Amino acid sequence: MTMTGRALERRKFPAPFSNYELGDPFDEMFLADGAPREHYQEIYDFLLQLPAEELRLHKQAADQSFLHQGITFTVYGRDEGTERIIPHDLLPRIITAQEWGKVEAGLEQRIHALNLFLRDIYHEGKILSDGVVPRDIIYSCKHFRREMRGVHVPKGNYLPVVGTDLIRLPDGEFVVLDDNLRVPSGVSYMMTSRQVLQRIFPRLYQACGVRPIDHYGQALLATLRNLSPDGRPEPTVVLLSPGVYNSAYFEHSFLARQMGIQLVEGRDLVVHDNIVYMRTTSGLRRVDVIYRRIDDDFIDPLSFRKDSILGVPGLFNAYRTGNVTLANAIGTGVADDKALYAYVPKIIKYYLQQDPILQNVETFLATDPTHLNHIVNNLDKLVVKAVGESGGYGMLIGPHSTKEQQEEFRLRILEDPRNYIAQPTISLSTAPCFVDGGNIEPRHIDLRPYILYQGEKSVIVPGGLTRVALRKGSLVVNSSQGGGSKDTWVLN
Amino acid sequence: MFYSIRHVTRFHYSSPVSESVMEVRMRPRSEFLQQCLKFELHVTPRARVQFYRDYLGNTVHHFDVPGHHNRLALIAEAVVEVEEPAELPASLPHSAWAAIDEMWASGELYEFQTPSHFTEPSAELEKLIAELGVDRSLDPLTLLRALNEKIFAAFDYVPKSTRVDSPIDLALANRKGVCQDFTHIMIAIARGLKIPCRYVSGYVFPREKHADRSTPSATHSWVEAWLPGLGPNHSGLWVGFDPTNNTLCGNRHIRAAIGRDYADVPPTKGVYKGRATSELTVAVRVLPTDAPADDKEELILLPGSNSGSSPVADQHWEQMQQQQQQ
Repeated sequence: MTMTGRALERRKFPAPFSNYELGDPFDEMFLADGAPREHYQEIYDFLLQLPAEELRLHKQAADQSFLHQGITFTVYGRDEGTERIIPHDLLPRIITAQEWGKVEAGLEQRIHALNLFLRDIYHEGKILSDGVVPRDIIYSCKHFRREMRGVHVPKGNYLPVVGTDLIRLPDGEFVVLDDNLRVPSGVSYMMTSRQVLQRIFPRLYQACGVRPIDHYGQALLATLRNLSPDGRPEPTVVLLSPGVYNSAYFEHSFLARQMGIQLVEGRDLVVHDNIVYMRTTSGLRRVDVIYRRIDDDFIDPLSFRKDSILGVPGLFNAYRTGNVTLANAIGTGVADDKALYAYVPKIIKYYLQQDPILQNVETFLATDPTHLNHIVNNLDKLVVKAVGESGGYGMLIGPHSTKEQQEEFRLRILEDPRNYIAQPTISLSTAPCFVDGGNIEPRHIDLRPYILYQGEKSVIVPGGLTRVALRKGSLVVNSSQGGGSKDTWVLN
Repeated sequence: MFYSIRHVTRFHYSSPVSESVMEVRMRPRSEFLQQCLKFELHVTPRARVQFYRDYLGNTVHHFDVPGHHNRLALIAEAVVEVEEPAELPASLPHSAWAAIDEMWASGELYEFQTPSHFTEPSAELEKLIAELGVDRSLDPLTLLRALNEKIFAAFDYVPKSTRVDSPIDLALANRKGVCQDFTHIMIAIARGLKIPCRYVSGYVFPREKHADRSTPSATHSWVEAWLPGLGPNHSGLWVGFDPTNNTLCGNRHIRAAIGRDYADVPPTKGVYKGRATSELTVAVRVLPTDAPADDKEELILLPGSNSGSSPVADQHWEQMQQQQQQ
């Protein structure tokens, strides 16, 4: 009697990994034969010898710590109780120095190209005249700001703060899923996760040789100060938040504290004679750089959405004149439009004459008749995304959807093709997660590194935020859709 | 022809407001056959007026009034020289359509060949198009002349029948409106045939005997269409059509701002803080004048100090009423 190959593959893992199963997706911890990858060996051994009870206690301690720090976010689209503690997984996700080197170079390249693209389309528009990117993708994009045409932004930098979403394909290759060039969030989860884990696993942290990330706050401040309007050597930098009802308010206050700058709302600022001031108890104080966590639409009711009560009237004119800097620049959303995404490899080639280091996921545009046909005939296999939405809203995951949902999307896509793209359903890589009941099981994850773009070079803190789809089998990692976070360790 | 223009805009609030911030697009453009020789903008309460050029080349003045005020008054005064354009040919060759399609392919005038906020196609518009029989069987110039006349004939000019932010459907359904509506309707139809069209905000000097329909004491608007093969080196020309007055634009039309539609070029646009109802009055006077003694262009921006009261922070922003173009 011979053992079948199938039985060999379904190797039994020791506790606490007893329920661990390897499938098609790339697993961060285990090789296909079930042996731990070299860079996970340390933590694997640690987990095997750790009594189950102690693991539970660690988890409790971590939860307590998040609760006490008030690390919360808001879930929209529900009637009641929207503020939540961010779910957090105890086990770190590990990336080798070599893998990280490639990710870093790829992000630097991509964001440099996207910045050149923004400068081009708001000035000469060469890439449009050369027919590399179709004009109607730009002009029909609701994030395209005509008002920015010809406006000079300090140091030509549109994108000082970016948080790119990466996923790992089954072959282990990192690819870009989403560029997030407007107001990416989550960096506070990255930083607090690290603080908590360093406290809970001090020896493991030491033993693994993890690259630090705690300089992010100062690096962000330096990036912002560097964009100060000409001739303003000691700039006043503020963080402009939509206020306490915003899902990321915790992060806004966290970052303002980290940088030692004022956290303000629209009503705290006033524009007089084209200069922006902050109202303080001792009178008005000039503001030079605004790290704004408000969307373009809401930033100035004079220039953009008239019904915005969050913004500052006249802010855009002060910005246009160069009296104040906004980070990120206005109008960057045109470059992270999900339909434009399909053109980013061409954009990199066009401006840098280089091949992209990080690849895209194959993308079908509903505006293209052949693509459209493919999309509506394969809704059960594809992931469909509304181009104007983010955070996992307005999305159909084909294999996990009902016939009714597919039909609903089919009609929506046919009615407004410009608003939809589709991609093959990709099984995100899996990583070990501590689940209820004390076991460790695989869950799908992605990676959002935070890039501080400073021109030719960027500062990227090693790692970023690893987001976890905590529900078994789920591919949706967004915190607004029940995802959680994980600390990310890049090794020396 | 030289004209002097005086454009007075007054806002009167039922109770004091503060932190008014405003943009003004009133300065006549200097290009082609028109030169703005002098422009002054007086603001009461006094404010420091600054300006910039928007991406369409319009001059935009802007200012803020931080303290409490019951009234806000703007007086814009301009002296402009406008030359009569060269006579247009009776028609264009039918091949002009090919040139228009070429322009579309080049993408150079993309935004003037596609619908914009106030010029979206609708079922009501389709009805009118069917009724007027608009298609590419005529050459573009002949077609636009006919369209200008047909819109004039199909609609009654009735002030206050629509509002500044009414969609074209309102005028289309009732077959009445003001110049803003007629301009949007003509643009929507022409762009449907891919003729590049833009919205012009400005002033018109009224004809003497057979009076124009448009209200002489208000700002005016009309259509400019780009037609291939015309102009000094046959590279194409923007030609003005005024469907409100059933006329082509000549030296009676003074251009202040151009855009995709009204939303790009409101003469005034602003917000203020306070809970008050406001009353807007506008007066426009266009008079022929002699050439100014000093023909060097002057732009006088009145400096001033604000009224000194402290800004308040407890109320929401309100939109200032906008002036409809008539």
